[in-house]
Amino acid sequence: MQQKNMVKADFVTSIVLLLFGTAILIMSIYMPRFEGLGVNPYSVPGIVPGLLGVILLILSLILFIRSIVRKGYRLGLSSEIIKQYFTDPSTRNFLLALMLSLVYGVFLLTRIPYSLATGLYILFFILIFEYRPKENMSSQKKTILYSFVEAIFVSAGVTLVFRYLFLVDLP
Amino acid sequence: MLDGIVRFGHAVMMFMNPGNLFDVLWSTQLGIIVGMLPGLTATMGVALMTTLTYKMAPENAVLILMCMYIGAIYGGSRSAILLNIPGTPANAATCLDGHPLAKQGKAGEAIGLATTGSFLGSLFGMIMLAFFTPLIGNIALNFKSFEFFWLCVFGIVICGNLTAPKDPLKGWIAGFFGLFVAMIGMEGMHAYARFSFGSVQLSGGIALIPAMVGVFGFSETLMIMKQPKFVLIDSKIERVIPRLSDIIKYKRTILRSGVIGTIIGAIPGVGEDIAAWVSYDFARRASKERDLFGRGSKEGLLAAETGNNACVPGAMIPVLSLAVPGSAPAAVLLAAMFIHGVRPGPLIMIEFPDFIYQVVAMTLLATCAMFVLGLSMVRALVKVLTIPREKMMPFVFVLCAIGSYAIQSRMFDVYVMIIFGIIGYYMRAMEYPVAPTVLGIILGDLLDKNLRRALVLTDGEMIPFFTRPISLILILFIVLTIVGRTNLFKKVMSAMMGKINKIFRRGSYQESIT
Repeated sequence: MQQKNMVKADFVTSIVLLLFGTAILIMSIYMPRFEGLGVNPYSVPGIVPGLLGVILLILSLILFIRSIVRKGYRLGLSSEIIKQYFTDPSTRNFLLALMLSLVYGVFLLTRIPYSLATGLYILFFILIFEYRPKENMSSQKKTILYSFVEAIFVSAGVTLVFRYLFLVDLP
Repeated sequence: MLDGIVRFGHAVMMFMNPGNLFDVLWSTQLGIIVGMLPGLTATMGVALMTTLTYKMAPENAVLILMCMYIGAIYGGSRSAILLNIPGTPANAATCLDGHPLAKQGKAGEAIGLATTGSFLGSLFGMIMLAFFTPLIGNIALNFKSFEFFWLCVFGIVICGNLTAPKDPLKGWIAGFFGLFVAMIGMEGMHAYARFSFGSVQLSGGIALIPAMVGVFGFSETLMIMKQPKFVLIDSKIERVIPRLSDIIKYKRTILRSGVIGTIIGAIPGVGEDIAAWVSYDFARRASKERDLFGRGSKEGLLAAETGNNACVPGAMIPVLSLAVPGSAPAAVLLAAMFIHGVRPGPLIMIEFPDFIYQVVAMTLLATCAMFVLGLSMVRALVKVLTIPREKMMPFVFVLCAIGSYAIQSRMFDVYVMIIFGIIGYYMRAMEYPVAPTVLGIILGDLLDKNLRRALVLTDGEMIPFFTRPISLILILFIVLTIVGRTNLFKKVMSAMMGKINKIFRRGSYQESIT
């Protein structure tokens, strides 16, 4: 990230951290003190999280002040910049990889058998990143074949190793 | 001393059977491959391997993890030399001179030097591990709650400071965030579930391994997919065995880097990347061939590789003696030891006295395997680097998911891995180091229990926190670390240094005495 953008990111992060630190502090204050049980007041559960909340507040306040001094509050957000960010190939690759992994980790693993979910994830991951729709199908036979072979071998291999060697009850 | 040597001999003999030697060979080779592949770090390798070995006997599991650790830190030098991309963060300094050497057609020689440097560094660190762990372990027996509290704070402050050299504030935020994460779940004194919001899963706390696999594995996968593709340079690999004359010529650099690597390894949470950079910097300052640095200096390459591998046994010193990890992969090893029922820490010399020397023997075996494997099959292994990331990364994520799931057979850990992967990705993107967060997760429980225990002992009195000798030393280091990064301190120091220089200049000195 460029230095100019980093200052802006610091400004936004510092606000999030200030809210986070405040939330920790408030929740720690409201934690039970077990006074009725005669518990030593210095052993109550909220004491350490409260201290951590205060430290996070102080650190994020320093970050906030520093980002203001460096004019990080001038976010300069426009629809063009946002569009540019999302159309950037590196952002697109990141979002695609994230989406595919989320679909696999959150939905597929809990809904269909493990080996099928794993095979589908690997197959689609390789095809989405390597298949070129504009190019001739016959020139990409190798890619398609490779993605199928890897999907079958990895899903079968991982399933067999974890189920029968490590005796894990797969999801 | 003699007792230690005998125990070490017993430990070596214990591992000298075909089964263990086979484990050493395959796990070190796998470690080298993991280290070689950009995007697969030593931490990720050790974390994934922990999930694969958790049903083994403790000695076998830790042996495999040590081999993976040592192999991966060394293996990263391959991609640093051939691709100019460090295989692991520990090999970033290796790129500076390793890649120029490869460009000059000396890739084989560079690989040989990196292997020898790593071998010697690891051996040096191993000797320090054998010598200092029992010593520090004995000192640590005097640690009470006050000292443990300050040790945790010291670990977070120094780790945040060194892993974020440009902006230590972000390092400290990352560290204290990690400490907060450790607060989630049931606390040890009154069994109250903190920050659980009524969730049964959250009341069990955030498990270290899924969080680490997420922060180091999944976030790395996302990072790699975002970056442009890399190109393997076409360099012929001929002579791999290094010249003895080179090793003798740079013996001082090797020794210096070994010392630096081990010391940095022993500092909580700092790790191999910092060890390599500091070793490289010291070597450059002391070198007679300073001009060659950055343009293919053999000395620079040796310094970086000796430093990062000496850091590995160094990082095990606080793991064994204090139960505080010296680096991120060592943190996983610490967690693995707990999973296997070994309890490192001050009591290790009483409860598991042989285990320290078993770890030393494991280091020796892994180091020897790394040396032999590193100098052989070089040409064949380079082909691994041609595997495209699009084919490698989904496999890595599958292992991240199943590895997180396998330890407790619950989907909650997979979700933890994913959430921490996304957090880790944004932390990296915004230049927050992830190592202090991991250290925080590990130290959180220790800090929580010891601070409250100490406060109960003193009935809220704070003075005993500041009056005990070891506490005072730790406080001094913490204050110096924080104050040392302020602009005011830097200005005062430079003004003072200027005045001192003036006084010691011949003319000024004579003036001052007349």
